[in-house]
Amino acid sequence: MKKKNYAIALVCILFFLSPLVFNAYWVDVLNNIGIYAILALSLNFILGDTGLFHMGHAAFYAVGAYTTAILNTMYHIPVIWLIPFSGLTAAIFGYLVARPIIHLRGDYLLIVTIGIVEIVRIALVNNIFGITGGSNGIFGISRPHIFGLVIRRPEQFFYYIWIFVAVSVYLFHRLRNSRFGRALNYIKEDEVAAEGTGVNISRYKLIAFVLGAFWAGMVGNIYASKMTIISPESFTFWESVVLFCIVILGGSGSINGVILGSFLLIGLPEIFREFAQARMLIFGLAMIVMMIFRPQGILPPPPRKYRIPSIN
Amino acid sequence: MELFFQQLTNGLAIGGIYALIALGYTMVYGVLKLINFAHGDLFTLGAYIGFTLLTSFSLVGKMGPLPTLALYGLLIMGLVGVAGIVLERVAYRPLRSADRLAAVVSALGASIVISNSIMLIYGARFQVYPHHLLPDITLNMFGMKVPFLRMLMLVLSIVLMAILYLFVQKTRIGTAIRAVAIDHGAARLMGIDVNRIISIVFFIGPALGGAAGFMVGLYYGQLNFMMGWLYGLKAFIAAVIGGIGNIPGAMLGGLLLGVIEALGAAYISIAWKDAIAFFVLIIILIVRPTGILGERVADKI
Amino acid sequence: MKRLMLFVAAILMAFSSGTVFAKAPIKIGLMCPETGSWASEGQDMEKIVKLLAQDINKKGGVLGRRIEIIVEDDGGDPRTAALAANKLITRGIVAVIGTYGSSVTEATQNIYNEAKVIQIANGSTAIRLTEKGYKYFFRTCPRDDEQGKVAAKTIKHFGFKRVAILHDNTTYAKGLAEETRHDLEKAGGVKIVFFDALTPGERDYTTILTKLKSENPDVVFFTGYYPEAGLLLRQKKEMGWNVQFIGGDATNNPDLIKIAGVDAAKGFMFLSPPVPQDLDTPQAKAFLKAYVAKYHSYPSSVWAVLSGDALLAIVKAIRGTHSTDPDKLAYYLHYKLKDMPGLTGKISFDAKGDRVGDLYRVYKVDAKGHFVLLPRF
Repeated sequence: MKKKNYAIALVCILFFLSPLVFNAYWVDVLNNIGIYAILALSLNFILGDTGLFHMGHAAFYAVGAYTTAILNTMYHIPVIWLIPFSGLTAAIFGYLVARPIIHLRGDYLLIVTIGIVEIVRIALVNNIFGITGGSNGIFGISRPHIFGLVIRRPEQFFYYIWIFVAVSVYLFHRLRNSRFGRALNYIKEDEVAAEGTGVNISRYKLIAFVLGAFWAGMVGNIYASKMTIISPESFTFWESVVLFCIVILGGSGSINGVILGSFLLIGLPEIFREFAQARMLIFGLAMIVMMIFRPQGILPPPPRKYRIPSIN
Repeated sequence: MELFFQQLTNGLAIGGIYALIALGYTMVYGVLKLINFAHGDLFTLGAYIGFTLLTSFSLVGKMGPLPTLALYGLLIMGLVGVAGIVLERVAYRPLRSADRLAAVVSALGASIVISNSIMLIYGARFQVYPHHLLPDITLNMFGMKVPFLRMLMLVLSIVLMAILYLFVQKTRIGTAIRAVAIDHGAARLMGIDVNRIISIVFFIGPALGGAAGFMVGLYYGQLNFMMGWLYGLKAFIAAVIGGIGNIPGAMLGGLLLGVIEALGAAYISIAWKDAIAFFVLIIILIVRPTGILGERVADKI
Repeated sequence: MKRLMLFVAAILMAFSSGTVFAKAPIKIGLMCPETGSWASEGQDMEKIVKLLAQDINKKGGVLGRRIEIIVEDDGGDPRTAALAANKLITRGIVAVIGTYGSSVTEATQNIYNEAKVIQIANGSTAIRLTEKGYKYFFRTCPRDDEQGKVAAKTIKHFGFKRVAILHDNTTYAKGLAEETRHDLEKAGGVKIVFFDALTPGERDYTTILTKLKSENPDVVFFTGYYPEAGLLLRQKKEMGWNVQFIGGDATNNPDLIKIAGVDAAKGFMFLSPPVPQDLDTPQAKAFLKAYVAKYHSYPSSVWAVLSGDALLAIVKAIRGTHSTDPDKLAYYLHYKLKDMPGLTGKISFDAKGDRVGDLYRVYKVDAKGHFVLLPRF
């Protein structure tokens, strides 16, 4: 066991040194992977841990990103302070949206979430309340300032993003093994039994949604300050599809799986750039093949283990 | 008032197409409980096969437009139906015993594969069907001008749907399909070859979608490898509104969606038209999740 | 354990191989949509730029060096474009051509600017792209406000009083629609009876046309793209409605006639920079001949042709400054490049990087489906 831990630690250290080795392009690819990894972790909480069929995650991401963009460009509030606030607006939105639909059965929930993400996109394009900039989007979002350092280049964003990833992994790991996480797992495995033992499934499902939305909102902030411009094109149903696939392909419910999934789904099309026009075709084939040969995902969650204290 | 009826007929014609495509979604969902995200691309495939047939092997000169188109229509339905069977075998059957969501991912992958294959074969530019194959008559009905072809499209859609409905209700295979849709295990116990039935469903559904594609190509004239995306999504909404898994529901849902869209665009706003459609979808799912004609699904306990 | 280390080492090697530079040829990047909804534009851009580069190399190259075109797909979306830009700047390019779509280009502007790479966009007409003070950014395409002015002028010239404006909610089309409305309202004497958007990608516009018709306009100005324009014209004819349609420059594409049919397209007018077929400079004629010889068809999009002009401008600047230093090139392009004969006309850039010149002309479709250039008014 110990050897394995050393190996993982070594890989992590090497990974955190990678901006020194790779050029700006590959570092930026890693940044993208990082952003998607956090998003996928937040979706994993809803989809993988709780078993809610959710294909509208891009909507929460969009709300967070636009909150940051609007408040930053209109009131010049520094981006860093807006991180929790974006999460909050996304969480409130998540609550409002999830409240009426939380009791829906699996497939129907899936369909409704698709509808939600499309409505959000159309609202953004149509410049709802006059503040979203329509299909132009919003530009001129400032970069994050931490104690005077402006985070601007890919290498700097690398650390900014991947530290966030590390924090997210830690938090979600703790959540999963907490009482709350166990309740969610129970709901995923057998809703009726869970209800029978006194778990208030509606409340827990709703909290799962809201937490996932909160996290996605924060990522929206990071994305906005990295790109400095955002437009509705980045928040389509297709983005939700990509996140959904990352979670399922990587291993629904498994943190390691989801991170690996991000690497694959975001990194592979970049490696496939050689194939130019056939890029997406190969990607689609890869999706089908991956599912057929490993439907549980590449790194499915390990079964939960509980040590029984010795009986003596 | 005349405007209202004009928009109503506009909506019904579009709705007929949505209904045809929706039937494919609903039948597949009925037997496999799977949302076939690749269905819209099969619709596109039908349109493109029609394009190839009409531009490369056109028999119009020899046989006249109507028989040629009828022949091609059947041919396209057959070919797309076969494509549907292949799709099922390759992308869905191996995942029958796996988690439902794995099949969804596979479906999305299949959708990408089909649409990008079409792009690579036919090119990214728009393709156009030959014009003036069918007469451009405009009828005057109740004071409104309705192009003959639109009426024809609507009528054909309804005819196809009626045939399907009778097939499912009155024939043995149809009954078998309904049995498989209720429970695979019990159907097997009754001696039904479930795999064969599923293949049949994957022939019929896509065949109808292919027919819709051919009609769209003929009437609107313009093809693009991404066209299945929007139609597929709308048809999907239609199937859900009507009650997914329910055949008359798909027909009703399609027509209803077409009309809601047309009236929403006419009286509220064109730019928000699609949002209105999604909004209706959500309302129906909250208020009556099984759709307008959906069966009451018994709760587990 | 050993396998893991080998694996990690292999990945590290694979990733860092992109940093090897080559100095001999002059590398020019082409960022274009090879996949996605604008794939046809990107693929045409590639064909045109590569053909021109081939021709230049055959004649001895630039400063005695070969030109090498490095193509990266921007997928028609901002995020992929940003990745493409990051990839290109590591390849040692002197300049980049691209791209189509204002918001896509916008996502890459600061990447190229910080890397000091000259960027010449060919299909990005949003005004604000040149209002940010990016020294290395230029465009061979005009701006939305210029087209808006010409649109308003054209509408007034033909005496239309009730004007309907239809767009498709994209950055470009909506921008143009709003500019035109603004200019018309300033000029006075016309009433804007309709202003709304359709959804691109749909096929059935009868609902919108019926609604438009009920407002009784004299003219409909459609600022969207040619696939929708073709369908609008065709469906309008089916309804038996004869109102005049005017289109923006995104409707300029021979496929418009194919989609609408000659009968429906007859009489349609649109604004556009003149296409090579209508230029009588020897350069344009020679280019067309070579293009048709190689690809067996005409270039379909004037935007793709503008990418060819971008390449010509870069090459002229390199020759003119005898260097590939970005600051010298930028200075040359801003202040020294005057009336360079390009494929779409004379090319000069102003201090902001915009193309100078009165580019927009009015075209009309005749009974045979040909685009006829109307004389200036």
